[in-house]
Amino acid sequence: MGCLLGLVPDKARGLKGWISFIFLCVVFYFSLIVFKMENSSLTLTYPVIGSLSKFFHFRIDPLSKLVVLFIGFFGMIISLYSLRFVDGGLDYKGYYSKFLWTLAASFGAVLSDNLITFTLFWGFLGLTLYRFLRGSDERSVAAAKKSFILIGASDSILIMGLGLLWLKTGHYMISGMKVTLSGEVSIIAFLSLLIASLAKAGAFPVHSWVPDYTQAAPGSVSAFLPASLDKLLGIYFLARICTDIFILTPWAKLLLLTIGSVTIITAVMMALVQHNYKKLLGYHAVSQVGYMVTGLGLGSPIGMAGGLFHMINHALYKSGLFLTAGAVEKKTGQVNIENLGGLSTVMPFTFLSALIFALSISGVPPFNGFVSKWIIYQGIIDFGKGFSLASHLWVIWLGSAVIGSALTLASFIKLIGGIYLGAKRSKFKNIKETHFLMSVPYIIIALLCVGFGIAGTSVILPELITPVTGPFRFIGLWESQTVGILILLGILLGVIIYLMGNIKKIKTANNFIGGEYPAEDIQYPSVEFYKTLTDIKPIGWIYQKAREKYFDVYDWGKKIVLWASHILSGLHTGVLTLYVVWTIISLGLIILLLL
Amino acid sequence: MNYIPLYVILPLLAGVIIPIVGRKVKFIPALLTNLVLLFLTILTVLFILKGDFFMVYKVGGWGIIKGIPVGIFLVVDALSRLVLLIVNLIGLCAGLYSISYIKKFTGEEKYFALFSLMIAGMNGVVISGDLFNIFVFLEIAAIASYALVAFGIRKEELEASFKYQVLGGISSMMILLGIGITYWAFSTLNIADVSSLLRSRNPGRIVFFIQALFLMGFGLKAALVPFHSWLPDAHSSAPSPISAMLSGVLIKAIGMYVILRLFFNMFPVSYKTSLIITLIGALSMIIGVFLAIGQWDIKRLLAYHSISQMGYVVTGIGAGLLLISKGQDLSLAAFAILGGIFHLYNHAIFKGLLFLTAGSVEHRTGLRDMRQIGGLGQKMHLTTTSSLAASMAIAGIPPFNGFFSKLIIIIALLKAHYYMLSFFAVLVSVITLSSFLKLQRYTFFEKLKQDWQQIKESPFWMTSSMLFMAMLCLVTSALIIPGIRERFLSPAVKALMELGRYSLNVLGQ
Repeated sequence: MGCLLGLVPDKARGLKGWISFIFLCVVFYFSLIVFKMENSSLTLTYPVIGSLSKFFHFRIDPLSKLVVLFIGFFGMIISLYSLRFVDGGLDYKGYYSKFLWTLAASFGAVLSDNLITFTLFWGFLGLTLYRFLRGSDERSVAAAKKSFILIGASDSILIMGLGLLWLKTGHYMISGMKVTLSGEVSIIAFLSLLIASLAKAGAFPVHSWVPDYTQAAPGSVSAFLPASLDKLLGIYFLARICTDIFILTPWAKLLLLTIGSVTIITAVMMALVQHNYKKLLGYHAVSQVGYMVTGLGLGSPIGMAGGLFHMINHALYKSGLFLTAGAVEKKTGQVNIENLGGLSTVMPFTFLSALIFALSISGVPPFNGFVSKWIIYQGIIDFGKGFSLASHLWVIWLGSAVIGSALTLASFIKLIGGIYLGAKRSKFKNIKETHFLMSVPYIIIALLCVGFGIAGTSVILPELITPVTGPFRFIGLWESQTVGILILLGILLGVIIYLMGNIKKIKTANNFIGGEYPAEDIQYPSVEFYKTLTDIKPIGWIYQKAREKYFDVYDWGKKIVLWASHILSGLHTGVLTLYVVWTIISLGLIILLLL
Repeated sequence: MNYIPLYVILPLLAGVIIPIVGRKVKFIPALLTNLVLLFLTILTVLFILKGDFFMVYKVGGWGIIKGIPVGIFLVVDALSRLVLLIVNLIGLCAGLYSISYIKKFTGEEKYFALFSLMIAGMNGVVISGDLFNIFVFLEIAAIASYALVAFGIRKEELEASFKYQVLGGISSMMILLGIGITYWAFSTLNIADVSSLLRSRNPGRIVFFIQALFLMGFGLKAALVPFHSWLPDAHSSAPSPISAMLSGVLIKAIGMYVILRLFFNMFPVSYKTSLIITLIGALSMIIGVFLAIGQWDIKRLLAYHSISQMGYVVTGIGAGLLLISKGQDLSLAAFAILGGIFHLYNHAIFKGLLFLTAGSVEHRTGLRDMRQIGGLGQKMHLTTTSSLAASMAIAGIPPFNGFFSKLIIIIALLKAHYYMLSFFAVLVSVITLSSFLKLQRYTFFEKLKQDWQQIKESPFWMTSSMLFMAMLCLVTSALIIPGIRERFLSPAVKALMELGRYSLNVLGQ
């Protein structure tokens, strides 16, 4: 594994896409080898320089194997996509070298057993995230800045968590930590590490960088970092926190479940009203993290399995969605759903893949999203049999998961309908299907989505997930039927919400007759209904506040800091006598204190 | 052979020759200054390669007579050679950079003469073994820097220089007063001698009075809150290579270094003093960064960050002092001091580089307000790259050097159970990152403004010295690796930790 880590940075100079693609195939092969390794838990130690070797403990256990496999896979697939996507016009300097650096750092973070080394790689990923977004317009620069500040802040908090962990354990090795959550020190350490993992994965309340980033970044970058790698890493670290580093208490579970539910609902609500399809996908990337956090927060093997499986599934369909979105943007140059429509006939493969991804993310059987959501629901019901406060509230967790699923479906009907269906616009007549190098990656991913869905419980779970979580049992038939009903309920709800939208649509369309808007401009106004959503009183108020960024920690922090800065600057008047007085008074104070 | 006096003699000589010859022969000033600095840098590196190190030079051969050191002692130990490396290396980079930069001013030979004098002063402070020589060299460096701040002789530069002179003058007076009282109390000014006297008898409360005077005097030179008010004006008005020297080196060589030397190796460590030092450090760290983030002038923003970053250094070192004064867990104290000293060294590099890049921007655009610049990343690639590297280093992003020193300081504070301090260190680090991303965004990204369509990259000497320092930002991370650390950083920490060894070494020889 060390040679893998060593090779990647060396080769990173190869700017040509093909070199890196071939190289990434090799890397993927390596990841397969790692995955096949017999030793289920292995600590490699390198005889480097004396005491330095303690920083080079690598650990290969089922969890890291799983994540390594998929990092390798996404690296390969997305670089294949980038071959056409990046060469064809987008001037992205050093794209491939950044790509490889990112991959190397991700492998390093996942495999290292020493928390200091982990932080080193982890922090470097924030920098590559920042460097990937190199647009010259104001919005993308602001998005890059915001993302990096939030990620960088969480990294600094992570460092604080490390120090506190050391106070409890006296070492930095992840294996063999098992800190019980008692006392202030360990609780603050837990919170710090939690914030770091949630910021990377993009969960409430540190989620706000994801939608901004995806809106500004090109499709391949969005698919690579926020959709797949950052999710894999964030949830990987969260899983480590929940299993290896800390032993969860009921209160910690309650916290995680609350974060999960709040993330699911708020993000999907925001997604509903977006016009920019890339930003919409970004909000969904946040919303889906809620499911994973919920799954892991249950603390049972079944919840864990659901969370991790959902992590993989999400990485698959969400990166797929971003890849298709990138293809659409590249072909049409449009980023708003209103301006698109009827692309299904000209881009059939893209349409079909996007449809599969949309159905997967909404949790429609037989696609993969359904399977993992199903497992999470079962986990919640199972969890409800417990006796803690969090267990008694199981209906809330389940309810928010189901409603979230319904709203997801509703918003994806809008996406698919708005972009691919409806009457074809005259200006898109000449658009052709994307080059096969671009379409093959998302077709592969779409096939995997179907495959994982059909073979989910029989093949994928025993092969990939069970080694991580240990054996677990699906609860009885009755519950699985309930779950099935719940899923159907979710789908129905989504369709109903959508139909309501269509009814309203007719109304809005009528209003337009005779107006100054040319009628043919509203081809398939699936967007219109969602605007009416924002007009409903209490929800509208919340949306208003959200637009004013009341729920964005970044914005709060910015306001407070600038206010303090303003006050302090006001004290610095530039008058020399004032400065002299300060100096003399301070000297007097020091003398008084010392004598 | 003992080469120590060369650190003062060579730059001083250059400072004398340059104004005489330089007026006639145009290439002499820059060449001579940089040759001297190159030689001294190499000499320092040779010193460093020797491992643990202690060297005394007795001027004129006047040694110790009947236990009393009568002559002037020049001392180089592991700590002073680290500071010497900072002075001469950053000086060399700024000197090379000045070759192109200073062309827009008249009086090139005056500039380089003052530059050499400033180097001579700083080197002198670092190597002198007695208080009065420290004062003399400090004044040489300070007066040269007053003149250099005003070098542009526009209104704001003169105003900044005037403020700097008045406040600097007050601090020099306090230092002189402290030295006078020291002489009255101990009848000697040799640091080692005072130290051994302080250890052998109890002089009473007069020591605290001297400590307060020195803390204020050198604290003002090091620009620590509440004595920081001169710095933003002075550091932003000076020509950029001078700003790099002032922020990167001067505040460390004539401020921080002397505080370190006196409060570790001369005065006995007391809890109250340590507490005050830590407090000052924490205040500088927090107030500096809050002031910085609101700035729109690039160089003012950088200048305020100098206060904040010096706060990190002082906090780390103060925590170490506190632990020593409590007498518990000396290895942890050494760890905290290691963090502080490493950050001192790193800060010299990245802050120097940041000022050089700001100078490069100013050189081409003539502006310092970020809002009026913008999009330079598309035209000035080398400046952008080096500025990004330095910004990442100061914000503490791995794998740049700032990450490691901040990591050590934060973890040392936590290990010592100073939770609030470590929390503030984390907070300040986040705000630092924000303000540097702001700088990157407005200066180098965003849309390229119409005015800058024809802009070119800065001339060769400027870009090459910037790139060299950007490399240093990455390479110095390696200093923390065990094996290399023992050669460079650990001896400096050891020189501070073994409080009395300094005086034993000096007096014993």
